[in-house]
Amino acid sequence: MAIEKIFKDDASEEKGERARMASFVGAIAITDLVKTTLGPKGMDKILQSTGRGHGITVTNDGATILKSLHIDNPAAKVLIDISKVQDDEVGDGTTSVVVLAGELLREAEKLVAAKIHPMTIISGYRMAAECARNALLQRVVDNKENAEKFKSDLMKIAMTTLSSKILSQDKQHFAQLTVDAVMRLKGSTNLEAIQIIKKPGGSLKDSFLDEGFILDKKIGLGQPKRIENAKILVANTAMDTDKVKIYGARVRVDSMSKVAEIEGAEKEKMREKVQKIIAHGINCFVNRQLIYNFPEELFADAGILAIEHADFDGIERLALVTGGEIASTFDNPESVKLGHCKLIEEIMIGEDKLIHFSGVEMGQACTIVLRGASHHVLDEAERSLHDALCVLSQTVNDTRVLLGGGWPEMVMAKEVDELARKTPGKKSHAIEAFSRALVAIPTIISDNAGLDSADLVAQLRAAHHEGCNAGIDVITGSVGDMAELGISESFKVKQAVLLSATEAAEMILRVDEIITCAPRQREDRM
Amino acid sequence: MAAVTASQPRSSKTESYVDNKRKEDIRQANIKAARSVADAVRTSLGPKGMDKMISTANGEVIITNDGATILNKMEVLQPAAKMLVELSKSQDAAAGDGTTTVVVIAGALLKQCLTLLSHGIHPTVISDSLHKASSKAVDVLTAMAVPLELSDRESLIKSASTSLNSKVVSQYSTLLAPLAVDSVLSVVDPAKPDMVDLRDIKIVKKHGGTVDDTQLVKGLVFDKKASHAAGGPTRMENAKIAVIQFQISPPKTDIEQSIVVSDYTQMDRILKEERNYILGMIKKIKATGCNVLLIQKSILRDAVTDLSLHYLAKAKIMVIKDVERDDIEFITKTLNCLPIANIEHFRAEKLGHAELVEEVSLGDAKIVKVTGIKDMGRTTTVLVRGSNQLVLDEAERSLHDALCVVRCLVSKRFLIAGGGAPEIELSRQLGAWSKVLHGMEGYCVRSFAEALEVIPYTLAENAGLNPIAIVTELRNRHAQGEINAGINVRKGQITNILEENVVQPLLVSTSAITLATECVRMILKIDDIVNVR
Repeated sequence: MAIEKIFKDDASEEKGERARMASFVGAIAITDLVKTTLGPKGMDKILQSTGRGHGITVTNDGATILKSLHIDNPAAKVLIDISKVQDDEVGDGTTSVVVLAGELLREAEKLVAAKIHPMTIISGYRMAAECARNALLQRVVDNKENAEKFKSDLMKIAMTTLSSKILSQDKQHFAQLTVDAVMRLKGSTNLEAIQIIKKPGGSLKDSFLDEGFILDKKIGLGQPKRIENAKILVANTAMDTDKVKIYGARVRVDSMSKVAEIEGAEKEKMREKVQKIIAHGINCFVNRQLIYNFPEELFADAGILAIEHADFDGIERLALVTGGEIASTFDNPESVKLGHCKLIEEIMIGEDKLIHFSGVEMGQACTIVLRGASHHVLDEAERSLHDALCVLSQTVNDTRVLLGGGWPEMVMAKEVDELARKTPGKKSHAIEAFSRALVAIPTIISDNAGLDSADLVAQLRAAHHEGCNAGIDVITGSVGDMAELGISESFKVKQAVLLSATEAAEMILRVDEIITCAPRQREDRM
Repeated sequence: MAAVTASQPRSSKTESYVDNKRKEDIRQANIKAARSVADAVRTSLGPKGMDKMISTANGEVIITNDGATILNKMEVLQPAAKMLVELSKSQDAAAGDGTTTVVVIAGALLKQCLTLLSHGIHPTVISDSLHKASSKAVDVLTAMAVPLELSDRESLIKSASTSLNSKVVSQYSTLLAPLAVDSVLSVVDPAKPDMVDLRDIKIVKKHGGTVDDTQLVKGLVFDKKASHAAGGPTRMENAKIAVIQFQISPPKTDIEQSIVVSDYTQMDRILKEERNYILGMIKKIKATGCNVLLIQKSILRDAVTDLSLHYLAKAKIMVIKDVERDDIEFITKTLNCLPIANIEHFRAEKLGHAELVEEVSLGDAKIVKVTGIKDMGRTTTVLVRGSNQLVLDEAERSLHDALCVVRCLVSKRFLIAGGGAPEIELSRQLGAWSKVLHGMEGYCVRSFAEALEVIPYTLAENAGLNPIAIVTELRNRHAQGEINAGINVRKGQITNILEENVVQPLLVSTSAITLATECVRMILKIDDIVNVR
């Protein structure tokens, strides 16, 4: 006898073929959405927010597009997750990973239709991925020993990453900028020390790297605008009055003079607090909260530069770069660590005045000031720059470098094809499919550039038969030598793309049932 | 094996064909939307351009021909159209003038792009060629420009009046142009000669009179009355001015407080105490010799009470109350004084000095003027008058544009001819350049060159001239080497525009072209609109 009902109302269950179909369709739809952004001639998307304000974002960054999508399909969510992970781990290749996973699934769909068991496909894919990885490992170039060469590798990687972004026109300039910034980090991947400030106006070319820290705030009235050998106290404290924070506390008095006394006492408390702060022997005080008129004047009298309302990010970073600690009580000056810097001064960028801290304790810190026509341009530029910085900082740690422009994919495809020929049994179909999925990436790159992909990929395949440095040169629209053109990619990024895409595809393939739980009942508010 | 690989790209080709159809549609829709925005402001270009009346959602009416203002108030929703609005804002930020021009150029470029796209040229190719063309255009413009010295006041005035001529207030350009020049020059810091902070120029609008009465004040103007409540002085010579950030009123604590009155005599005592308290404060103020008090507005409590005003009046101290906190910096900079946040810190060295502070009647309204300030900071105040609110607002916007023009000249000291001359010259030179380029690039650059003709065309059209006749004539003259031939709208013919004193800063033209190109390239590269959270 059949069980009548296992699930709650509204919960649904899809099994076997249907479940697999649903995940294939979802994953492939996501892939098709982002694949036009791939490569140096990839297109941008407008993201139109349906929320309040209908704000728009123009972007070409896979992770940003996917992050903001409304998605209901579980398989599509898996793809979005891998793109997020890729973003967190290596920062670049967020589109590639989704496209590769999607292509793998597209191939798998065909195999499943040809009655090959998903488990067979999975084991084939695993073998292929392992083989592809080894193929890459054999071809990597490592210039760790040669600092000069390594730097030029970094430049090439930065240029390659940036060439698919909005900054492509000025990629030389920005590549130099990012390489300089990353070299300053001396191997740490702490990108917090690189601050990016966006200021509308001017053009992208006017962006620059500043060796120091810039805070987008104003200096209080009547205070020195320039301080040398500054001792900085970074604090997060209320500078209005220390109120009794018990609800309902109130003062009951019987005459006006007493009220005046209390007011005086409040002022006195404030003055004491300021005195304590001054007693630290500082000449610059940065507070996260507002500094009211009264303490501001006290600071001005003491010749201390006080900056109010520095945003949270701002003070944490300032504390980091100047080597100070964020203080909130001031009773024991000896236990508070002060920050130091050589010079604080007011500078003007565009129309705005900013405060510039130079000669900071932590030599790694620097600031990139981005200029551009509008907020859209600036936001997108920041995203692109962030990608480049991520990749570079990863490359500094893992110095292995590959060529770009579809070269790694073709190398892998060739090896995987060899493997397919050697492997007996049904698995070889899956391995062959893996190689086809790899070839899809150069195909998409050339399609996006409006080139004849069928012709180009065939040429590329022929060229790779001998094993050379051929890749797609989208600028001239032909097959070119990637080493000569200086198109490089980080091994770490490629490896992450390969492995996480295979894993994601595997995970989705394993699914044979989708159970959608009943949505939680909303309580009726009527 | 080979058969499989061959079939695979072909299958993806058919798929991408379907996709491309949709992408083409989105691109077309974007371009159309952006162009309709450009068309909306097109008629307001040039000295004979028309104005737009905008009635905003809250019933306010604005009459203007400032491109940035029109677009800002239009509240467009289509993303590409929004980008055009942003474009005009950027131009406003970068150069301050030419906000209509930039949108019109972007519109014309988009129109050309549409044709190029329909010929099957890949958008990225167009985008790259546009970038090349625009950087070449900047070179051409720079070569055309005439260098300028800041001491050349005449030329500065000429360019300011070119900007003003296209506004409602054009008949006052002889008055406003020198005014704009003088005010900008007076705030230029000799230490940093390239920087002008327009925030150092304060524009005070006052209803009444006509634009003719607009004046430059060497000093400060408050759009407020001096406090009359208790008959205090309204004119003070040899003023010692204090800017205070505390309140002269009964004390108030931050902790909630209440005074318990238990009998009648206590009440009397409290009243007396209040009086003594205030009197004590005023005595301290008087002791420093201060005779003009500027009081910052406070939201927590009354800045002054009737009682304190009374005592201040008795102490012969002039009071101006409700000064905004944002203005304090400007005021202290101008007066060369320090704000005082506590009565205990009221010291003579924190005061500012001025020869005269007086309340002046302007029609039925009154303002307070501070003149003859000792060691005045590098600031200026402009008092704008106008017969009604609409004229007043438009005059302010026009003056802002004129100030920006002068500022542009200070930061980049080159002048260029106006009246469509640079655009037609660009069009000619780029057209010639396109002939030596190869392939698609040459084709795209030629389209860019053609698009630039929209400026002289629109200028002529708006002036009621025959645009085709004028543009062809203009082309002809430029081909003969008269690079400064432009449309003289007043005479309705083509003349050497430099001789007619129609000049504009180079920065306005270059930034209009680079910004418009950047925006168009961005629109071209978009192939999808995705709805997100």
